[in-house]
Amino acid sequence: MNAPAGLDIASIPERIQSEVQRAIQRSIKGVEYFQTSGPTLGSTPKDIIHSRGTMNLYHYRPLADEIYRIPVLIVMATTNRGYILDMVPGQSFIEFLLKRGYDVYMMDWTPPRPEEKSLSMESYVLDFIPDCVRHVQQDSGEADISVIGYCFGGVLSLLYGSIFNDGPMKNLICFTTPVDFRELKLFHNFADRRYFDVDRLVDSVGNVPPEMILSSFEMLRPASRVTSQVQLWENIWNDEYVKSYRMFDRWATDTLPLAGEYFRAITKDLMWDNKLFNDTMTVGGRKAQLADIKVPILHAVAEHDHIVPYDAAKHLITKVGSEDKEEVMLKGGHVSLVAGPNAIKRLWPKLDSWLGGRSI
Amino acid sequence: MADKSSDPLALWQKMMGEMEKGYNAFANQAMSSPEFSKAMNQASGATAGAQKQFAELMEKYLLNMNLPSRAQMIGVAERLQNIETQLNEIKATLQQMNAGASSGSVGVVRPPRTKRPPAPPSAAPPSGEKK
Repeated sequence: MNAPAGLDIASIPERIQSEVQRAIQRSIKGVEYFQTSGPTLGSTPKDIIHSRGTMNLYHYRPLADEIYRIPVLIVMATTNRGYILDMVPGQSFIEFLLKRGYDVYMMDWTPPRPEEKSLSMESYVLDFIPDCVRHVQQDSGEADISVIGYCFGGVLSLLYGSIFNDGPMKNLICFTTPVDFRELKLFHNFADRRYFDVDRLVDSVGNVPPEMILSSFEMLRPASRVTSQVQLWENIWNDEYVKSYRMFDRWATDTLPLAGEYFRAITKDLMWDNKLFNDTMTVGGRKAQLADIKVPILHAVAEHDHIVPYDAAKHLITKVGSEDKEEVMLKGGHVSLVAGPNAIKRLWPKLDSWLGGRSI
Repeated sequence: MADKSSDPLALWQKMMGEMEKGYNAFANQAMSSPEFSKAMNQASGATAGAQKQFAELMEKYLLNMNLPSRAQMIGVAERLQNIETQLNEIKATLQQMNAGASSGSVGVVRPPRTKRPPAPPSAAPPSGEKK
């Protein structure tokens, strides 16, 4: 019997030996996996300079001898924890910014308490963000601030920037930020107004439970959970792979509940009426139109983003009123755009080259 | 050395990748239909209603038994956590004040805000404003 084309018979014993060694390693490391916890995440030294219920404002301790004049305030998405931007040393976006000489603050979220179910879009846009901006101004002694918003943190930053368009926001950077919510096709279908009774849900549960948020994200790629665990088993002999898997898996499953009234507003104003895209959005009676944003803006989008596809994000740059504006599409997905090896070589240097000159 | 077309492990991985893509695409197509939305929301609506009723019933039962509910325990835990956070903040402030008093200066010394971006390779300066 002939060997298939391309198969090197001489390499077979070597290959078998390698696979046997890996199988042994899998057994050993598989036991270790369940006995040990994952790497410590979010460990860049920081101080909580302000805290109010679900909201925490961190200031990261500078790691450079000289820093840029304008501090950076990161607005994290309200569905997830901020440590995605501060994984482990060497793979932390925050650490990268600090070493590059930025003064970094972050608005991070904890699960809203039952009594915080009444937090609304107004609470986030007209209260939490301006409140944190004031604290950053006081703490840094600087009037100007650059804002970075990730995913829905980008939407909140856009709403804030369009309402408070006379300052103090000096620069705006959005990562994978949706504007046209019709194009979040599956989410849009899940929230079809003919069948989804958001009032009944919010009135029943108060805050929307994290399991519901997580399952709606996982439903976008239903097979991926299983295949990622098969891949983990295949690669469990590889410490680096396991470390990376644990970091991202822990973060992805560490989903936050959403405050009930806030979820109601997202569903009605954004998912159903697409008000941000249609220029009819208001927050607390104040007009929030993208055309009113005039500051320099960078929008980073991911080529293979299954959560915020390009069609949902592409109108941001065309709709803002800024003269200095840029969209950059980078390889990767919704998460790998901002964290992991892909981000280290693509997004982070791009952001640094864009923001450095605008931070003086 | 064997190439990828004949490597069983590579073939297995490729097959897994293709199956994942195929299943995801199929499921996405199925979930895009209004029928799916209707069925999903009917199911989740019923679950949410039942959960609420069950939670209310349990709350009454625990009240009659003179026991705290899970929500009350979480409330107490969160308040304790807030107290701990505030204690830590007070501790940090006191430490800063002590450090300031012993060094003769007040507050934490921060790096100067004088950093400039590295000069680009070409002659064009960055477009940022200078203060």
